[in-house]
Amino acid sequence: MTKLSDEELAYTNDLPGAERGNPSYFENEVIDHLLGIVLELGAQFWVVRDRLALLEEHLAAKGTVSLEDLDQGKPSDELQAKLAAERQAMIQQVYGRLYSRYGGDKAAATDAFMS
Amino acid sequence: MSIQEALFPRGKVAGVFPTLTTRGDEAYLEFVEDARNVLMHAQQAPIGTYSRQLIKDAGISDTPDQKNTQAAIDLLMQDPTLKIYYRVKRSLQESFWFGLGKSLDQRRDAIIAAFDEADHSGPGTVEYDKNWQQSAPEYASREIHIQPGGYMNNELAGPLYDYGLKVFLGGAADHDRLAKGVSMATAIPDDGKLDRILDLGVSAGATTIALKERHPAAEVWGIDISAPMVRYAHVRAMEAGAEIHLRQMTAEELDFPDNHFDAVLALLLFHELPVPVAKEVIAEVFRVLRPGGKFTVLDFPGDRSRGVYSMFFAEMDAADNGEPYLPGFVRSNVEDLLVAAGFELEHYDPKAALTRGRVVVKPAA
Repeated sequence: MTKLSDEELAYTNDLPGAERGNPSYFENEVIDHLLGIVLELGAQFWVVRDRLALLEEHLAAKGTVSLEDLDQGKPSDELQAKLAAERQAMIQQVYGRLYSRYGGDKAAATDAFMS
Repeated sequence: MSIQEALFPRGKVAGVFPTLTTRGDEAYLEFVEDARNVLMHAQQAPIGTYSRQLIKDAGISDTPDQKNTQAAIDLLMQDPTLKIYYRVKRSLQESFWFGLGKSLDQRRDAIIAAFDEADHSGPGTVEYDKNWQQSAPEYASREIHIQPGGYMNNELAGPLYDYGLKVFLGGAADHDRLAKGVSMATAIPDDGKLDRILDLGVSAGATTIALKERHPAAEVWGIDISAPMVRYAHVRAMEAGAEIHLRQMTAEELDFPDNHFDAVLALLLFHELPVPVAKEVIAEVFRVLRPGGKFTVLDFPGDRSRGVYSMFFAEMDAADNGEPYLPGFVRSNVEDLLVAAGFELEHYDPKAALTRGRVVVKPAA
């Protein structure tokens, strides 16, 4: 089995941000934490927004809803498409300003990772 | 509990991925996936333009050697906007692993029981070392992609990786679109003889399945260093009805006869290997491929086709995405290693390194 020497692996420890855990990109780590916090709050807000939309869809359709519906169900395809558009617009509006210095706030979303 | 109940209790997400435990878990990951699309993928072009201008204004040469790359790192990581970009990137990466782990851990015992049941079911076969947690080479024990436990030290590595890839690629892997494209790009011998195909580093098995679907008459084999990965890939193959044969082994010690395969694929494998191991893998592929057989390597371009910003990006990605061997791979220009091992280079366009790859042929004896 292949064994590499410490010397052969040494350079991998010198990479910026290679530390597992919570590396700091800013001189003041509070800024790192704050950015992480606002992103997590956005995600948690979205979970509530999605659940509310699912709740409303059930109530509008049947006049009743169960916890099982909310935890194990999912919005209709039509509602999922509407929520996806709303979610992407919200992310652009709330966080896009972070990149306004170089015009990144106007960049169109893409999933073309491998193109 | 059946495989369906354990892994897909509410159907499949985007056609192929395991269901998460609650709708709320999926909504969390949908946010992270879209945030990556808007705040990462969409930024690559404008942030590249912005960064290249900063490098140019600072008078740093565009030759991507270590000295210039380090100068670019020192410069660009002083820029407030770029600090934000890399912080956001890291935070979103940590978020999706957190969300996935929290959700799948609630069904951990049921999922492992389903793997145990699938080990003895078909179509297709799976073989792995029952002591797999002690059998990992040291270099593979890193938490690649900062995936908790990495590929080797978490029994749920397969479903975690699979859904993680969906989020990481911003939907490009949905419905196995990416894998189907890779199967189309995998080169076959000019004489058309295609009895056996080998997929190296199968991870969740999507490309191995796609290869079988594209070449149903061929015997398709897939290997991965990780036992949890091949076990999950086997479940994936059963779900797809694909008769593929999965084995846990390292690509540098292939347990197959000489001249055995007609075509071999390595999708995004080499950049996860230290260069000395990559050389061993290439020698092994040369051995198991028959004369006239073709080897397709889909991976990142080398530094010969990169400027200093592109090399900076690779260095940062290596760190932020937990890919410690990526810079070494890029600097190795793997097409040179392939030719040095005896292969003939048939195709390589650095601009299409990820989509069309490097294709090499084993010459006639």
